[in-house]
Amino acid sequence: MMKLNKLQILLLSAGCLISTASCKKYLDENPDNRTDINTVAKVAQLVTTAYPRYDYYYFTEGYSDNTEDKGSGVGSLDDVTTRPYNWQNVIGDGTGSTTSYWNGCYEGIAAANQALDAIEKNNFGNDVLPYKGEALVARAYAHFMLVTFFSKPYEINGANDSPGIPYVNVPETKVIQQYDRSTVKATYEKIEKDLTEGLALLSPSAYKVPKFHFTPAAAHAFASRFYLFKGEWQKVVDHATLTVAGNDFVNNLRPLNTTLRALGNEEFRIAFTRSDQKSSLLLTEQYSGWQRQTGPRYGYGEKLVAMFGRDGNFTGKPRADKILSYGNSNYTTYKFNEYFFKTSQGADIGFPYLIAPLLTVDESLMNRAEAYAELGQTDNALRDVNTFLSTKISGYNAGTDAATVAKITAYYAIANPKEAIIKLILESKKAEFLQEGLRWLDIVRRRLTVRHNVYDEAGRETFVELKPDDLRRVFQIPQEALLSGVPLNPR
Amino acid sequence: MYKIYTRILCTLRDYIPKFLLIMKLITVILFAALMQVSAASFGQFLTLKERNVTLERMFREIRKQSGYDVLLSTNKIKSSTTINADFKNASIEEVMEKIIAHKDLSYTIEDKTILIRTKEKSVIDKVLDYFASIKINGKVRDKNGAPLPGVSVREKGVSNGVSTNDAGDYTITVKEGATLVFSYMGYKTREVTVSKEGLINVSLEEDAAQLREVNVVSTGYQTLDRKLFTGSASLVKADDAQRNGVPDISRMLEGQVAGVSVQNVSGTFGAAPKIRVRGATSLSGDNKPLWVVDGIILEDIVNISNDALSTGDANTLIGSSVAGLNPDDIESFNILKDAAATAMYGARAMNGVIVVTTKKGRQTSGAPKVSYTGNYTTYLKPTYNTFDILNSADQMSVLFELENKGYFQHTSASRGSEGGIFYKMYNELYNYDPKTDSFALRNDISSRNGFLQRYANANTDWFDVLFKNSLLQEHSVSINSGTENFQTYASTSYLHDSGQTIGNSVDRFTGNFRINFKMSPKLSGELLANGSVRNQKAPGTLERTSDPVYGKFSRDFDINPYSYALNTSRTMTAFDENGNREFFTRNFSPFNILHEIDNNYLNLGNIDFKVQGGLKYKIIPSLTYSVDGAYRFAKTERQHYMLENSNMVLAYRNVSDATTIGSNKYLYTDPDNPYGLPESVLPEGGFYNIKVDNLKNYYFRQNLEYDQTFAVNHRVNLFGSMEVRYIDRQAENFDGAGYQYENGGIVNPAYKYFKWGQESGFPYFGMSTGADRFAAFALRGAYSYKDKYSFNATTRYDGSNKMGKSTTARWLPTWNVSGAWNIDQENFWPKNDIFSSARVRATYGLVANIGNANNSAAVYYNQVTRRPYDNEKETATFISGLENSELTWEKLKEMNIGTDLTFFKDRINVTVDVYRRNIFDLIGDIKTSGIGGQFTKIANYADMKAHGIEFTIAGNAINHTDFKWRTQFNVAFNKNEITNLEVNPSIFRLVQADGGALVGHAQRGLYSVQFDGLDHDRGYPYYIDDEGKRNTYVNLQSNKIDYLKYEGPTDPTLTGGFYNQFRYKDFTVSALLTFAKGNVVRLDPIYQSTYSDIYAMSKDMLNRWVMPGDEQYTNIPALLDPFDSNQTIKDANGGTVSARYPYNLYNFSTERVAKGDFIRLKQISLGYNLPKSILSKLHMSNASLSLIGNNIALLYSDKRLNGQDPEFFGTGGVALPIPKQYTLSLKVGF
Repeated sequence: MMKLNKLQILLLSAGCLISTASCKKYLDENPDNRTDINTVAKVAQLVTTAYPRYDYYYFTEGYSDNTEDKGSGVGSLDDVTTRPYNWQNVIGDGTGSTTSYWNGCYEGIAAANQALDAIEKNNFGNDVLPYKGEALVARAYAHFMLVTFFSKPYEINGANDSPGIPYVNVPETKVIQQYDRSTVKATYEKIEKDLTEGLALLSPSAYKVPKFHFTPAAAHAFASRFYLFKGEWQKVVDHATLTVAGNDFVNNLRPLNTTLRALGNEEFRIAFTRSDQKSSLLLTEQYSGWQRQTGPRYGYGEKLVAMFGRDGNFTGKPRADKILSYGNSNYTTYKFNEYFFKTSQGADIGFPYLIAPLLTVDESLMNRAEAYAELGQTDNALRDVNTFLSTKISGYNAGTDAATVAKITAYYAIANPKEAIIKLILESKKAEFLQEGLRWLDIVRRRLTVRHNVYDEAGRETFVELKPDDLRRVFQIPQEALLSGVPLNPR
Repeated sequence: MYKIYTRILCTLRDYIPKFLLIMKLITVILFAALMQVSAASFGQFLTLKERNVTLERMFREIRKQSGYDVLLSTNKIKSSTTINADFKNASIEEVMEKIIAHKDLSYTIEDKTILIRTKEKSVIDKVLDYFASIKINGKVRDKNGAPLPGVSVREKGVSNGVSTNDAGDYTITVKEGATLVFSYMGYKTREVTVSKEGLINVSLEEDAAQLREVNVVSTGYQTLDRKLFTGSASLVKADDAQRNGVPDISRMLEGQVAGVSVQNVSGTFGAAPKIRVRGATSLSGDNKPLWVVDGIILEDIVNISNDALSTGDANTLIGSSVAGLNPDDIESFNILKDAAATAMYGARAMNGVIVVTTKKGRQTSGAPKVSYTGNYTTYLKPTYNTFDILNSADQMSVLFELENKGYFQHTSASRGSEGGIFYKMYNELYNYDPKTDSFALRNDISSRNGFLQRYANANTDWFDVLFKNSLLQEHSVSINSGTENFQTYASTSYLHDSGQTIGNSVDRFTGNFRINFKMSPKLSGELLANGSVRNQKAPGTLERTSDPVYGKFSRDFDINPYSYALNTSRTMTAFDENGNREFFTRNFSPFNILHEIDNNYLNLGNIDFKVQGGLKYKIIPSLTYSVDGAYRFAKTERQHYMLENSNMVLAYRNVSDATTIGSNKYLYTDPDNPYGLPESVLPEGGFYNIKVDNLKNYYFRQNLEYDQTFAVNHRVNLFGSMEVRYIDRQAENFDGAGYQYENGGIVNPAYKYFKWGQESGFPYFGMSTGADRFAAFALRGAYSYKDKYSFNATTRYDGSNKMGKSTTARWLPTWNVSGAWNIDQENFWPKNDIFSSARVRATYGLVANIGNANNSAAVYYNQVTRRPYDNEKETATFISGLENSELTWEKLKEMNIGTDLTFFKDRINVTVDVYRRNIFDLIGDIKTSGIGGQFTKIANYADMKAHGIEFTIAGNAINHTDFKWRTQFNVAFNKNEITNLEVNPSIFRLVQADGGALVGHAQRGLYSVQFDGLDHDRGYPYYIDDEGKRNTYVNLQSNKIDYLKYEGPTDPTLTGGFYNQFRYKDFTVSALLTFAKGNVVRLDPIYQSTYSDIYAMSKDMLNRWVMPGDEQYTNIPALLDPFDSNQTIKDANGGTVSARYPYNLYNFSTERVAKGDFIRLKQISLGYNLPKSILSKLHMSNASLSLIGNNIALLYSDKRLNGQDPEFFGTGGVALPIPKQYTLSLKVGF
């Protein structure tokens, strides 16, 4: 509304008595700097926030075999690292909790839904379609991550009738809305529908900063992950192939043993999650303290370092990752550079963020390799694995270091070539994505048993295991979900 | 006047249909959807108590109250003649007799018209006239020498009389030897015997007993006959509540009204006290009463909730919306308390309404009346006697113990970010002078002890260093003048406060101009303009931040003088041996408080201007249309100067050595050069930061009032109103980095500052706007029967944009019904002098308030994405709140029963009110499933109930000519309890000094972590943790609160005041006590695991645990050595806990709570009125001199407070406690 002078107000108020329309207009003025979703640009801006703004690193890494007990008295104790290691529910909704990730996913979903709602209610024309596609794919992604963490894993060719997660596709308008978990199967169907519908609408040129959005490439990477869970191997291959142009994977993987290796530690940390890393397909800024975890007792320690060494893989050569430590056995991959959002001129008050590479070329290549293996295309699988390793192993020599069926069946002492290749793929991913949380996806998907060591105060080491059918493998839904009629997971 | 009435009389027959026509039209236009005018009948009783009422107003009042028109058909009586009216249910005849008494007039009543005309003289009169013998003339004056117009002068025993003219002159012809009787209402009657022709001047003395308060209630919308008003309201006349020397009018309400609590959370000028009318009503809202000045709602420039008033942040300086009003301009306050009283404010009334009426011009026959008020105030400095702070010798012994335990060793103490005497000592040891080839201090025991000896003996009185006995002056001049149709009041005031501490000062100018005019008997109006300009200086401050992890609030670079004096070790000195300022270290940089206040300060400029106009048009005598409008513009600018040598600027620039560079958080590491050393982003100059808050406010209202009495006994008053409020707010901030104060203000932009800002998402300027839009319709109907029974019904329909775009949430109807029974008007009431009158009131109704939620439709804001690199940033739109289709206003239903009793011929008044409130739909946080996309929602999910009782007894207990005693005692009890709240607060939120909300307890309750003794071996504290186990560690972020102890409410449940004034001849003595009870106070958080050598310590420290076994006798934890601090303490699970946690928890434990009960001697004053003999020589009409002491003493408070003020939160920043002050006040009138 335009600025009013006193006379206009007088007229207006008199008008108010005879016309409710002018009164409505008067009271329609926004009370503050808020905005309305009334243009394509606003829709695009809103969809920019349709991604989970909190990390899953603490609990996925803690639950998985990517952490170890470094010993009594070593490192620091903190609920968000200690409880996951002991496969206990994470309490509260603080940074790093399962609840914060749950909330982050649904916040992203809400942004997608509000955008889709605005698209439906306004006539924005075809310009809005890429953002509609982005909203749909982002909504599918967030729901997929939720169902992966908070429901029983999808069983290929199984009934999948265990509870899924509430699939939200309309904006919530009530304070407490009731929701239904439905089934894993139904949830997957909805994810697939959104993904397929959205993928068709995406455009590679719709974004100012494409790496932070679902470009077609990123969406294909997500689809390869999705179909890997679903066991639709050919689709995995098809989508994975579309993540890079011209099948040029080798030049789009993380150049660990070349460019990144050459960088100093601080430069490496800056470069790793920068948007100019070709490998990164989807980056999201996430509110996190993960990059500040310099020395948790349960974390990346001596035992895990071994996998980067020459004995860590079949080539007999070390991987080219940075191996850094904050002292004692408090190791770090040094992948995350904190972005500190300052809120005060005076001091160090603000919010810590990291940039999370949610989808990478590295992952989709390995997805394709695994799908090839499942399809029985051993050569293709090995070719992809070798492409991958060629950028990871120090001093990689294609002639001598390439994986062959013979080498790996021998190395893993697994006779079945398919199983040996899959083992190699999973091990390579474990190392590649250490401290990035992806290991947990493989653990639930491949029903791997997790083994943790535990030191008592006297320094005695024992081991505990988390078996494939252990109920604790499904993360607990926030208590507050009960308000919405959503049952918690059994324990 | 005269002509118009005559004409009306002549055209009476035509008039009636016309009037009906107009009526119809107006009804159709304005009240179409709102009201129906119902028929009623007439009455003819009149009530009016007022001095100097013009006849014109008398006639208006008669017309209003009885429906009779008064017409004059003679010019022997002027409508500007004044009388002192004192009518209570007087019949028309009685009133008319009084008006024409002793005048040569008579009246007749015909057809609802009273016609006054010259008396037809009887034959005898004519004969007597014939024998008239002598002629007397003269002047009648009051005791101040002012002429008294309208005084009745008559011959005793016969019906011969005249009245004085405007100049007080009279002429009368009487028989020889007659006695002249001079009488004037409100004055003592005088009789003078005449013997011969000539001049007789007379002066009349006031008779205070005759004068009683005006029996009307001002609701801001209407000035209502109290009989028609059925709510609970308290009138406070400015004369009775004067707080000379206290320039903020909100403090005039202290202890004056039952149920109104005024808590001085900060005494700094401009900071609002925490005012509550009948306690808190909201969990998340402001809980502030609505201020209404001259009928217009006063908007806050910035909205600071009651809770935020105690933060000490710089914006609290503009927290008091009434800081721009001159106390001398105030006529009265009317505090509307219950739902019936506040009903006209409907959906903004939940926290009570304070209606301020400013002074108007009076009828002075055009003569200017000038009055001057001057207040000269000086402050008393606080002293250490009232606080339990260690003197320097005791503190030094504690420091030595710490040193023996391993603290203050050279490596850490010489390079820390802050340091006192040990820091200085170590650095002196290495301060090498090549000329003399020696060090400033020899490193041997005796030299070191010698060095420290000076500080052990220093015993610095920081209060003396930082506080001043400076002068606060207020000068206020007002001129008031008026004729019958035009009255003016103009005033201006100047306040200069040199400040109770260094670094604080205020200048304030106010101007006020008000005209009341009458164009015709039908059309009257008023015009107001007032403005204020304020210029205030305060020590520089940044905003307070909270750190829930370690359980602390902190403020970087705090230089609040009061906090500094209380918290700074007395071993440190402000001046060295040579009398130069002595610097210690803060933020790695030199620091001296005096130097810092000189170099780091806030300048607040505020200009606030309001114009207001109103017109009243009487369509017919019983129907009045009125319109009011106002425009206000306020601009506030806070300039924060941080000069080149201020500690903050030096800290930004400090790259003096490797240690500093490594740990100075104000240095910047360039991501483009990740291996570079942190560098300063402020190579030159200091900071010049600006924050601006602007307000633009329009207000418009139109009313239609119908007031008629039917069939003598039935009085009806209908009032319809519609209003629009329009408020635009604007807030700006600008951080000027690199302003070179020492180089004439040049700026050499330091790009790295901006680069840092750009990279960290911290913009160097910002601007935001706010728009509040309100519209409301209200209808009120009042009916009274025979003055015995009155009924009232009000309904109001409010609309606001503040909740967002939903068209359903924005409108809310509120309503109220009430009634009153004047028992003393019943026939069975025995007329007696002891129990004079009794009235019972009852009301039930709904009022509301807008809560702190604005998402009736989904709320989106824009944001720059929080990504590190410029080429990755883009604009994003995020959801701040999902649509809440159920969002509604916060509401309160109240049942109030009250009674007003008077005793001893109305000398003593007693008022009692009892109420019960059901407060519902309160806005609170609620944690949801998160599935909708908003985990914590703000929704109407809390309920509360409250009840209370208020009692006031007041009156003139003794009222002799020479000796008078006026007394007022009020006490109120209010208790609230949260009945429903679905939020699970963390321990940290609940243990804070300002309390937290939890079901089953008070709106703000204080909770403590239970202390569970000291460790036997080491003396560190234990608590009961959130699992109920004995533990050294309690996770403050935990939501498990079962083991917290509820200490009590943070707001007092009992508040009140006791005022007494004794007057003996020209001397007056008065005293005001205020008291409060029932709340608990969190003691200042002074415990730490270790102490730096710069902070003061409590005397409790002397009773600390020293050796095993002491835990039997003391609860004061031990001083731990560094090893124990870091390695010995274990939590319940056996993990090692840093001593920081248990020692911080101590501040939030059951050990650190005191009762908030207090009795305070708020004011004491001694006044003297100058005698007439002196006045007349000086040509003055009045002059008085008073000596006033404000905030003199805390007569009672919990000993555990150890001098801490139970009302004041020592939060630093700009907050200062209310000072003790003495004022000399001079009032002169000409």
